[in-house]
Amino acid sequence: MEIEVKDYQGVKVIALSGEIDMYSSPALREEMMGLINKRVTPLLVDFKGVSYIDSSGIATFVEGLKCMMSYGGRLKLTGVLEGVRKIFSFSKLDKVFEIYGTFEDALNS
Amino acid sequence: MKDLVLIKVQSDPKYLSVIRSVTAKMGELYGLSESATEDVKLAVDEACSNVIKHAYGGDTYQSILVRYRMTKKGFEVLIEDNGVKVQPESIEGRSLDDIRPGGLGVHLIKRTFDIFQFVRRKRKGNRLRLVRFTK
Repeated sequence: MEIEVKDYQGVKVIALSGEIDMYSSPALREEMMGLINKRVTPLLVDFKGVSYIDSSGIATFVEGLKCMMSYGGRLKLTGVLEGVRKIFSFSKLDKVFEIYGTFEDALNS
Repeated sequence: MKDLVLIKVQSDPKYLSVIRSVTAKMGELYGLSESATEDVKLAVDEACSNVIKHAYGGDTYQSILVRYRMTKKGFEVLIEDNGVKVQPESIEGRSLDDIRPGGLGVHLIKRTFDIFQFVRRKRKGNRLRLVRFTK
């Protein structure tokens, strides 16, 4: 998995590509929690290049969301492909996370 | 030789991608739909991740054996380790309404496979038998 952190119009964006599994999720967690510990908000995660996610990846985002909620932060997900979205839906997390169809929607909401 | 495929993989998370690739190929060879193959791939990945986490306690120098075969019942996957015995009664995922990290893997396995069974005959370690019925 590749992780790229960038600023887009003053908003922090984590752009991901590849597969998120037990091997790659610790690196994602470190990167994401580094931003969350600085109380960044909103934080956009661009899933456009993510073809696979397992429960360790889901757990990483749940942990991130819970931490952000403690300071009123917003975690926005975008570019979630159908296969990955199915996992969020199955775990009833599609109702918990802010998931946007397009990057612009996520940015402007 | 019986019609089966067997792989032995080091219990290092970096090799989970190898298990996923083989699982996906086996699903394709055994005629599963694309969607079923994706589900099976994820479920086997979750089961092997559990072996690394729970049976081996994170030790990345052990081994995991995965056997695939098509039986009369359906697509069967056997996952074996030599780690700490799992107490099948203790395996329960979190409620899906309880939003917290962890506890999702077992749900992802059970939603995919019709049979989720720890074979008790194995003296040391665990042998998890997963079967997805072919309808």
